[in-house]
Amino acid sequence: MNTFFSDLYKKANTGFWPVVIAFAFLVVGTISVYLNPRSLFAFLTLLTTPVILYFMKIDTKVKVFIGLLLLIVILPVLGIRNIFYLEVIFQMAVFSALALGLNIVIGMAGLLDLGYVAFYAVGAYAWAIFGSKQMSLLHSIPGAAPANAEFFLDARWFWLFIFLGVGLAALMGILLGLPVLRVKGDYLAIVTLGFGEVIRVLALNLDKPLNLTNGPQGITPIQRPPLPGVVQALGNALTPLVGHVPTEAEIYNVFFYFLALIIIGIAIVVATRLEDSRIGRAWTAIREDETAAIAMGIPLVKMKLAAFAAGASFAGAMGAVYAANRTFVSPETFSFQVSIGVLTMVILGGLGSIPGVIFGASAVTLLNIQILQNFSLYLSDLRQSDAVIPIINFPWKNLSNQLDPAKYQKLVFGLILILMMIFRPSGLIPAARRQRELGDEKEAE
Amino acid sequence: MKQIAANPVYKFLLFPVGQIILFALGASVILSLVTVLLAYLFKSNFIDFDLVERIMLILPQVIINGLTIGFVYSTIALGYTMVYGVLEFINFSHSEIFMVGGIVGIQLMAYFEHTGALATMNEYLVIALAIVLALIVSGSLAVIVERTAYKPLRGAPKLVPLISAIGMSFFLQDLVRLILSLTTGEFNVILPKFGTYDEFWKLAVPGMEDPLRIQIKSALIVGIAILMLVILNFLVNGTKVGKAIRAVAQDRPSASLMGINVNQIISITFLIGGALGGAAGVLFALKATKLDPFSGFFPGLKAFTSAVLGGIGNLTGALLGGLVLGLLESFAASYLGIFTNGAFGAEYKDIFAFAILIVVLIFRPSGLLGQTVGQKA
Amino acid sequence: MALLQTNNVVKRFGGLTAVNKMTFSVEAGKIVSIIGPNGAGKTTFFNTLTGIYTPEEGQIQFKDKSLLGLRPDQVAATGIARTFQNIRLFGSMTVLENILVGMHIQLKQGAVDTIFRSKKFNEEEKDAENRAKDLMEYVGLKNVGNELARNLPYGGQRRIEIARALAASPTLLLLDEPTAGMNPNESEDAIKLFRRIRDEKGITILMIEHDMRVVMGISEYISVMDYGEKIAEGSPAEIRADQRVIEAYLGRGAAVAHEQKV
Repeated sequence: MNTFFSDLYKKANTGFWPVVIAFAFLVVGTISVYLNPRSLFAFLTLLTTPVILYFMKIDTKVKVFIGLLLLIVILPVLGIRNIFYLEVIFQMAVFSALALGLNIVIGMAGLLDLGYVAFYAVGAYAWAIFGSKQMSLLHSIPGAAPANAEFFLDARWFWLFIFLGVGLAALMGILLGLPVLRVKGDYLAIVTLGFGEVIRVLALNLDKPLNLTNGPQGITPIQRPPLPGVVQALGNALTPLVGHVPTEAEIYNVFFYFLALIIIGIAIVVATRLEDSRIGRAWTAIREDETAAIAMGIPLVKMKLAAFAAGASFAGAMGAVYAANRTFVSPETFSFQVSIGVLTMVILGGLGSIPGVIFGASAVTLLNIQILQNFSLYLSDLRQSDAVIPIINFPWKNLSNQLDPAKYQKLVFGLILILMMIFRPSGLIPAARRQRELGDEKEAE
Repeated sequence: MKQIAANPVYKFLLFPVGQIILFALGASVILSLVTVLLAYLFKSNFIDFDLVERIMLILPQVIINGLTIGFVYSTIALGYTMVYGVLEFINFSHSEIFMVGGIVGIQLMAYFEHTGALATMNEYLVIALAIVLALIVSGSLAVIVERTAYKPLRGAPKLVPLISAIGMSFFLQDLVRLILSLTTGEFNVILPKFGTYDEFWKLAVPGMEDPLRIQIKSALIVGIAILMLVILNFLVNGTKVGKAIRAVAQDRPSASLMGINVNQIISITFLIGGALGGAAGVLFALKATKLDPFSGFFPGLKAFTSAVLGGIGNLTGALLGGLVLGLLESFAASYLGIFTNGAFGAEYKDIFAFAILIVVLIFRPSGLLGQTVGQKA
Repeated sequence: MALLQTNNVVKRFGGLTAVNKMTFSVEAGKIVSIIGPNGAGKTTFFNTLTGIYTPEEGQIQFKDKSLLGLRPDQVAATGIARTFQNIRLFGSMTVLENILVGMHIQLKQGAVDTIFRSKKFNEEEKDAENRAKDLMEYVGLKNVGNELARNLPYGGQRRIEIARALAASPTLLLLDEPTAGMNPNESEDAIKLFRRIRDEKGITILMIEHDMRVVMGISEYISVMDYGEKIAEGSPAEIRADQRVIEAYLGRGAAVAHEQKV
């Protein structure tokens, strides 16, 4: 049976078949999502396309063409028809960037950081505080904002704050790293966890003596960058494809989708290039054997700090984007659970594997905000019906309302972590070392 | 002298109890002195009220609160430190083992309330039964967790079992939530009201206007915790199994060559640590009166901090670390607000432990008592 | 002046004195061995030289500069490279990457060069890659550059470790039991390699070795350690005849028997 499928896969993976299959998924997926914007199955079909592109033997140019077609044309159009999909893809991109950052720290350098969400929070709160009216409300009690409060900065400053987010998060990474990177590996996990909680508790409580974070209520409204006319024009151009004139909210969603796409693109390039360089090799060496690494002249603390800073910077940038996208931040967004969620993505995909962690981030995000959600909806539909569970004859009606899969993310994260560690610790798409063209031509000389 | 030291009553009862009382009193006195000294120093900054007087007024209660929670931390910390001593591994899911103990204990009391037996039963018997049940359930759960999620990973790089333990921690939280939700439709569990242990003993102290109020509950928690610690001390230092545990902690390969079944000893270590955690859960539940599947997280982290503070792997250290941390936390929660005039207060008490953890790890990573594995409790 | 000079170096672990008053020197361009029974403190002495341990007393001078208080990475940067007793390769990296890690000190590319793939970066990487290939060939490895280091046989791993140390272009190469676990043929090859390293590259070699054939066949100078102290030093011929050395290795009674036989 097993050989049957592997033979089938081999046959399908030769000649023109991969291209046909990829196009088939793309076209069928696109049409079915277009016609049934609410069908999860249709959406999953479409999302299988990039996985096929990654795994099957297709000419690189064709891969790039199909990939760009999907990312730049199809997803935005479908996304405007069902705004929820754009949200799903946006979150996938946000978490992919976070996972890529954490992957540098844990996957490449082997440092278990359980407070990674803190850097995300730093980026988000930086723009939240300066891009909202909060600076004018420093001396007022949360919830009692005077009506005449002004925005502190012009909305265009947002662009600068993406870079400031990078810098601030990197700085926080170094400040945290300086004292803690000297401690032993497994203590580091607990200390970083503590750091993550410290940042969250600060966000929760720094509404006094100065009202910096507005406490548990969070900060809103946060400004979004003004969109120049070009984007409006693009929106109008989309009208015939979408079937209606896109609203401002929809155009903003497309805009944030593209912004996240650009950042994730940069993140991939930066991560790949760092990995394949003196710096990346030093990180891997430290992960593998600290004593041997330091004997090769690699300064441990300096390189570990660099890993912390580089990893943190990705989260900082995404934090600023997230704050503007939501126009709202609150401490709840930056809980320990998010740190573990990102860890789960990295572990599921494969420690140290860049395609792996992107896959992991996408899969876990999809699971979180769509599959579990759909499952919950399905269960609640069943509860409305008169159906019974066969064999044990248990009416769905009597099933507890508390059984809501969407609320059991921790269970899912926990299971993934345990099962991956026991059965596949290197992840679903394990890291591969770069193969180089080597000495064969030398022998020919 | 040697004869006295060899006397089992001395060795397993008087000495450990004396040590515990010494630690508790010593830590309380030192912290009180420091606080009062600070109060005198900053007295002039406060004109509306007399700082020293205000501090002295609540000092006894602050100490009692600190010791109560401190003993709970100590009891949990022993679980962390025993497992670390034997496996050099942070058992991240120990906080959930603790939480399960508390919830099981409350559920038993709720069951008695449901059947109507609670009103007629002796309240101390109820608490004792709850603790015994928690000991059994948490101990077995710890062994199951060890067998399923950690044992297959023995020998793997250090991060692997640690990540598995983090996963187990999350898994257990939601599993308990799922079970509670399906059986009771509600995942908060509330301690039923019974008995008189909530009331206060009033002790008239000469020189003070109001009598000193000690909640019976606090005394009960401290008393039971001390009993647990004494039993543990006997288990580790007075029995053959204890000797085997200490041997495995010191040198696993040699212990194995000496014919000790290492896997079995590791499981027993989890059993004892888990059982202690479960008992601590019931004590914590008596104090907190309300638990949910996520309430193990912070006490667990603080207990871990206690273990590090005392010197991880060191049983005496875990005891001392828990007491010191409990007192520090109680002092910080009560006095930080007064000293900073309300700018920072009790809301920071949860992260206070982390600050201590970081400071300890940087300046004295071996903890207060150093890293002597398999020592006496 | 010697290339490496130590004076009265003492390293203690609690009550145990692992290295006691070691005064020792290595002349530039020589092949020098340290021998001694197991537990004599040889590896501890190596670790003290390379900055893994800080000695309680004494001085260590390399190229007339003190190494005291330097971290291991700083020691490496002064031109001391080493291999380990139990091979310590970066198992999940390729052979080529292992050697590139050895060049860490010499490569000058920064984060900005790396991210923007500047001309400087590309040239340096190309150059480093070529040097790594040459080094692989130099130690006698072919077509293994893309293999994961952990997949190589034992002898191959020993060679990579030496190539990785050579990648740092050291002045002094420390080898900790480089022929341990090798058969006589492999040892023979290793000896040839060490000679070539010294003769062709002019690198001074200091090694710890147990295999007397290797030690006597290659060393120009030998120091003997026992119980943390240096008990003898001299040319191979002198060491062979030294009474204290025979005692240290074989025990007093055996030494007497040995003497009678001679």
